Amino acid sequence: MPAMRTAIPELICPAGTPAALRAAVEAGADAVYLGFRDATNARNFPGLNFDEGEFREGVDFAHTRACKVFVAINTFPPARRSGPWHEAVDRAADGGADAVILADVSLLDYAATRHPNLRRHLSVQASASNMDAIRFYQEAFGVARVVLPRVLTLAEITALNRQAIVETEIFAFGGLCVMAEGRCALSSYATGQSPNTNGVCSPASHVRYEQRNGKLISRLGKFIIDKVGDGISAGYPTLCKGRFVADGCAGHLFEEPTSLDAIGMLPKLVATGARALKIEGRQRGRTYVARVVATFRQALDALANGETPPHDNTLDTLTEGQRKTSGAYMKSWQ
Amino acid sequence: MAPMASLEGTPPLSPALLLGMAARPLPSAVVEAVLRLALRRVQARHPDVFARLWPLAETVFLIDPLDVPFKALLRPGAQPPTLHVLRTDDPAPAAAVVISGALATLVDLLEGRADGDALFFSRDLTIEGDTEAALTLRNALDGADIEVFEIMLGILGPLAGPARRLAQPGRILTRRLRDDMARVQAALTAPLTRQCATQAAELTALEDQVGELRRRLQQCNVRTRKG
Repeated sequence: MPAMRTAIPELICPAGTPAALRAAVEAGADAVYLGFRDATNARNFPGLNFDEGEFREGVDFAHTRACKVFVAINTFPPARRSGPWHEAVDRAADGGADAVILADVSLLDYAATRHPNLRRHLSVQASASNMDAIRFYQEAFGVARVVLPRVLTLAEITALNRQAIVETEIFAFGGLCVMAEGRCALSSYATGQSPNTNGVCSPASHVRYEQRNGKLISRLGKFIIDKVGDGISAGYPTLCKGRFVADGCAGHLFEEPTSLDAIGMLPKLVATGARALKIEGRQRGRTYVARVVATFRQALDALANGETPPHDNTLDTLTEGQRKTSGAYMKSWQ
Repeated sequence: MAPMASLEGTPPLSPALLLGMAARPLPSAVVEAVLRLALRRVQARHPDVFARLWPLAETVFLIDPLDVPFKALLRPGAQPPTLHVLRTDDPAPAAAVVISGALATLVDLLEGRADGDALFFSRDLTIEGDTEAALTLRNALDGADIEVFEIMLGILGPLAGPARRLAQPGRILTRRLRDDMARVQAALTAPLTRQCATQAAELTALEDQVGELRRRLQQCNVRTRKG
């Protein structure tokens, strides 16, 4: 007798460049998410993202292969300078995006008013982590999906999904932000720029690496934020992953450099009732995208066929600091 | 298996290291001529990559493959891009960005077969200097499908066909050799590496403690002066 087919979530994959988009689509993404080449998205890194021509080509490429395209416009426009953010929403709608991923209430309102037929997803940057907040965004702006913050346990996600007023999307792999997303200003203290308005945490223009006496020294602005001995894995130059001295002891005060890797708990993620699983990493290369997406596609397809997903540790080398975590999904603390 | 993360500036045990030793007598001008031809071919095949590099018109990169006796000064954003080859033991020239790693690692990165962040995390790739310029270059290259092997074969003209037939098994052999040599190096250096890592961690902890003690001493001195 054939095994029962399980309903599985969509696989939402990062596309920082046209090459990464093609890699994600070919590796089995159900949807890719991307940003324009400016501060309107939270991965505003040099040389990354899409101009209008690349975006339209990317949409064509994805749609002809039955893959959706979501556009992240998930930073917060500064006062009196919302023009580029409105233009980005218009560009996404005109270029055939399947959804826009928004965080700012004024942008949600703009999109709902100007492009009512364009699906609106609430970005993780909005940090909507309880039913009241989700209901507000759904009722006020017709949000169809909420990307849940990475602070919730599987039990909390399941409880939210049982009330089922909107679809939810949860992270399954990639960089792990330990702060309240959309509200973290740590980067601003060292560089004057934050992901919330400038679209980039620890902007590359403020980062310097130096090799000294066998150590990798990471500087952010005027501050040394880590020193890593030779042969020891390194992490991103973000303040939350830096090492600091407190009470005479040096250590990672916020979190060690590590990435979320929930592939080992995929059946549990599916059981939460989340409609989509998200892979983080628009700043990563196409090799990362191809490998992570293919691995998750294989595992999800196995689950759909009632099979046990293959045990896979091959993604370990791609994780930040070459360490992985299940984040808050199984947390025992409050 | 990627070449083992090297001690700062130390080449990994790799096929390129052996080939590099054999190539040592080659004048750098010959290597430079070949690489310039290759660069021109890359530029002709991938104009979109170079279009993304305009912010780097003045930026000089020093590309240092640790296991070969040459390094290159590159201005990829210049019109046209410029390249100058030096010997490893030549004095270090001024460069805004220094990118170093095993030759195979750098080629994997150039061809988009390896993830730059993962190579950085594992310390197989070292970046110093202007991080923004390095990221701009990395992201532009990652968006292209540059095939270093095909480009180099193209330079051979009519000999490309026979060379390709010879090179294909050679590539497979080289990959196996690279993995085997990395294993040998790992086995030989594992005890030393563990010891060094432990000592490095201890030294870092001591340095941090000394820094903290200095800071407290300064605070005490300030309080004493005020008192």
